[in-house]
Amino acid sequence: MARYGMALDYKNCINCKACEVACKEENGVELGAEKHRIWVGANNPEGQWPLLDIASAAFLPSQCQHCDDAPCQEVCPTHATYYDENGVVRVDSDKCILCSYCMNACPYDARYVDDRTMTVDKCTFCSDTRLARGETTTACQNTCPTKVRTFGDLDDPESEISELLRTREHFSLKSHLGTNPKLFYLT
Amino acid sequence: MSVEVSRRKFLQGSVALSVAGASAISATNLFSSEHASNEHQSTDSRIPSTITTKTGTGDAQDIPFLCGICVNKCAGFARVEDGIVTKLNPNPYFPKNRNMLCARGNAGIQTMYDPDRLKYPMVRIGERGDGKYKRVTWDEAYDAILNGTDKFKGLKQILDEEKDNRATIAYCNGEGLSKEGFEVLVGEKLGSPNYVDEISICLETTLGGYVNTIGTYGESDLNNADYLIIAGANRAEAIITPDTMDMFKRSKGRGLKTIVLDPRFTNTAAKADRWYAVNPGTDLAFVLALTYVVLTEDLYDKDFMEKYGVGFEDYKNHVISNKYTPEWAEKITNIPAKEIYKTAREFMAAEHPIYYQGRRSVFSKNDFQLRRAMALFQALSGNLDKKGGIVYGQKLKLPKEEINVPMYAQVESRFDTEGIAIPAQKTGSWIVLRNMVLEGKNPYPLRVMMMRKHNPMSGVPNTKKTEEFLKKMDLNVMIDILPSDTTMFADVILPEASYLERTSPVASYGALEPAIVMRKQAVKPLYETKEPEVIYKELAEKLSKPLWEITKKYDEDVQDDTEGMSEKEIEEYYEENGFNLADAWEKPVYEQNKERIEKAFGEEAWKMLDEKGVYYPNMDKYHKQLNPNEYQYYPEKAKNYTTKKDDLKIVCNFKNLAKKGIDPMPTWKDDYNFVVPDGQFRLITGRHAQFTQSGTTNNAMLRDLIPTNYIWINNQVCEKMGIAFGDKVEVKSNIGKVTIMAYPTNKIAPNQIFMLHGFGGSSEKMELAYGNGANDALLIEDKIEPVYGAAVMHETNVEIRKV
Repeated sequence: MARYGMALDYKNCINCKACEVACKEENGVELGAEKHRIWVGANNPEGQWPLLDIASAAFLPSQCQHCDDAPCQEVCPTHATYYDENGVVRVDSDKCILCSYCMNACPYDARYVDDRTMTVDKCTFCSDTRLARGETTTACQNTCPTKVRTFGDLDDPESEISELLRTREHFSLKSHLGTNPKLFYLT
Repeated sequence: MSVEVSRRKFLQGSVALSVAGASAISATNLFSSEHASNEHQSTDSRIPSTITTKTGTGDAQDIPFLCGICVNKCAGFARVEDGIVTKLNPNPYFPKNRNMLCARGNAGIQTMYDPDRLKYPMVRIGERGDGKYKRVTWDEAYDAILNGTDKFKGLKQILDEEKDNRATIAYCNGEGLSKEGFEVLVGEKLGSPNYVDEISICLETTLGGYVNTIGTYGESDLNNADYLIIAGANRAEAIITPDTMDMFKRSKGRGLKTIVLDPRFTNTAAKADRWYAVNPGTDLAFVLALTYVVLTEDLYDKDFMEKYGVGFEDYKNHVISNKYTPEWAEKITNIPAKEIYKTAREFMAAEHPIYYQGRRSVFSKNDFQLRRAMALFQALSGNLDKKGGIVYGQKLKLPKEEINVPMYAQVESRFDTEGIAIPAQKTGSWIVLRNMVLEGKNPYPLRVMMMRKHNPMSGVPNTKKTEEFLKKMDLNVMIDILPSDTTMFADVILPEASYLERTSPVASYGALEPAIVMRKQAVKPLYETKEPEVIYKELAEKLSKPLWEITKKYDEDVQDDTEGMSEKEIEEYYEENGFNLADAWEKPVYEQNKERIEKAFGEEAWKMLDEKGVYYPNMDKYHKQLNPNEYQYYPEKAKNYTTKKDDLKIVCNFKNLAKKGIDPMPTWKDDYNFVVPDGQFRLITGRHAQFTQSGTTNNAMLRDLIPTNYIWINNQVCEKMGIAFGDKVEVKSNIGKVTIMAYPTNKIAPNQIFMLHGFGGSSEKMELAYGNGANDALLIEDKIEPVYGAAVMHETNVEIRKV
């Protein structure tokens, strides 16, 4: 039993997409440009050449926010979307009927359809791959060149993530929606 | 603070590119087969059934490997389940890649399992370039190299006709751990002096400029630097380990102030404190102006320059008397004078400033002088050979391997020296060698190209000339893993095992935190492929005796030496003098590695290397995990920050260069000015973090991320020309033209265009790469810089029109 979350030192991100490929290879995610569990949002710089606003050209790594109050779980009519024992938002492929309510409900666009399993898929924090083998990092964290991500147990005060959240300023995405994400962006 | 990050937003950005890309290229039938699905269609049990394989929770082996998808050679562990590589993970023991693998490193699996791989030896039965080959056995392939077929001549006949002049053989080779073995085979054993490799189309002037000025290219200690000028290097997209990781953890107001110069707004510029849109090819004027400021304002480290500078006063007078002022440089570089003053002053006021050396292709003909000027500017700060500066470090020495090199009396010298002040003895100049042959300036016939892991059809400017050159040869041999554009001009194709299928010779890396690394075979070679060293050995065995007969026939030295000898004595002479070509590969690579490491570092070292893929003295004591993401490799006191001390020498005035017609001190010349005629654009080229030149354009995973290349055109120019995103545009230079889709953007100047290098493949055998995007080598004029004859990539103007 744990309450897993992730802190993102997003200023380190260089939009290299190592995380996206590691995720796909680790979890057997299907190919296709729209089939990704994690991604990096890249904003084009504002202004006209050569007077471009550097600060506007941010890279923003994202994925399922593993909300404590997940709208996708709430709207799922078949209970295919559920919380596992570690607070990770998971999908039961046998129960999913592809109604796509979850896709519409998710404010973070974190879900996509896996055409092979006919399931609305999403990030699992590598629960059925790496964590199931007793590893302590997700594929995206482990591979990241600039070490954007720190994954860990929010309930464990000794964990690196707890330490980071105690000592660093951070924010959550769309916090006004009350979804209580377990992804934290460090400033 | 709130930040909006959504999949939809992402789709509007980069993935929209791929959607447009897909529809535009489907006409070339790219999505017709296996690549389009998520499944492999092989019946071979050693090929996974799906393209990505979810890792399991059962039995698995973790085999240390060294990545071979680019030049960095990051260390990793390959997870092998049931004989299939399911995942590549970073190796936390190697101080160079610091527990990371990039997107390409992760996608290396897809290169090994690429359905388009070269699977068995092949011999040409059609015409060069038409892709018609016959599958043969390895022995038949070696035999075709020796004896030829009805379509092409073999080495025996050619060397007989050339009276054992081994220089009729030229060879080219790509970067990697098995590169040296190919040099031994063709250069030392077969005796060819005509070698060209990636260096003359890459960073030759950078290495030459730095080594000749401060005695090393060095390592930038970015972990401890506090001020960074990075010019013409794009570390966010052209990843170099450990520089990329170290640089961006502390940018954005977190300790490493970062000034980026690049004509384009790159991902590196996005991480900068300031970005200067420098005119292409004018960095030298910027550095000279920085130098002018610190010399005239007395901001430099006087003690340091007095102690170590050679001809420093000459250089000082030179820069000041030439009036290389920021105002002068502003007109040339497009960087405001006040910004140059500010940057120069900040640099010298910083405690640990670094003007990053960069490593990239040669962009302009003044590149050697640019590197000299950069190295000298760094030296002015005194921040050399110390923590936070450019360090010299110390490598771990591996025992040398003795090669018994035969001497051939009939071999002539290399000739590719036209227009070059200091011809490189070993690796020569690709452009000069090729062009002299095409112009009939070679003093003897050049008839054979032995090639390995090298794709000059894409890499060397002016593809048409390269094609003509390859067609001129009597025999072309290629060792590679994929049927590249160049492979299609080979007469004999030998399929190599990819880097996950072979153990490679051990290598020594790094200088600040040095280590020995080893790539181990994760799975046995797929199909009928073989490890490169096995190919070298078998080919050498096949060629050895028949070519020895030719040497005996023509080589007067050998004839004199062996006169009156018995058969047995001649056989001994052949063995003793290295004419047995195969004697360099007596032991398999793994055993050789073991012997070398045990000899140099002992048995325990070998055990560690064998298990972890990495070894350095005291690794067991030094190496520890600091947090979930970071490791200590060496304690602070054991790092090689300062190794040169009083041996430092800063060559400011390099008088010997003048004898060769090269400026002894960096000097600006009018013909370096950036000029683009009205109605034209300067073509600039570069890289991206999701591919490695033409080597990865057939990688299914990376193709998802970077589906094709586009031409970047300034958005306001596009408006005037009526060009919208995805429109087809014809780009035309003096030497050729291509058609490519447009990407209107504010990230490039109105008089420049940019395209990624490595796309536009012409080999139909590479399904994803074929006809996808445009090949910049069809456009880039084959100009060279004057010091080493290295290819100059950014001096071509083009016209564009919507088609």
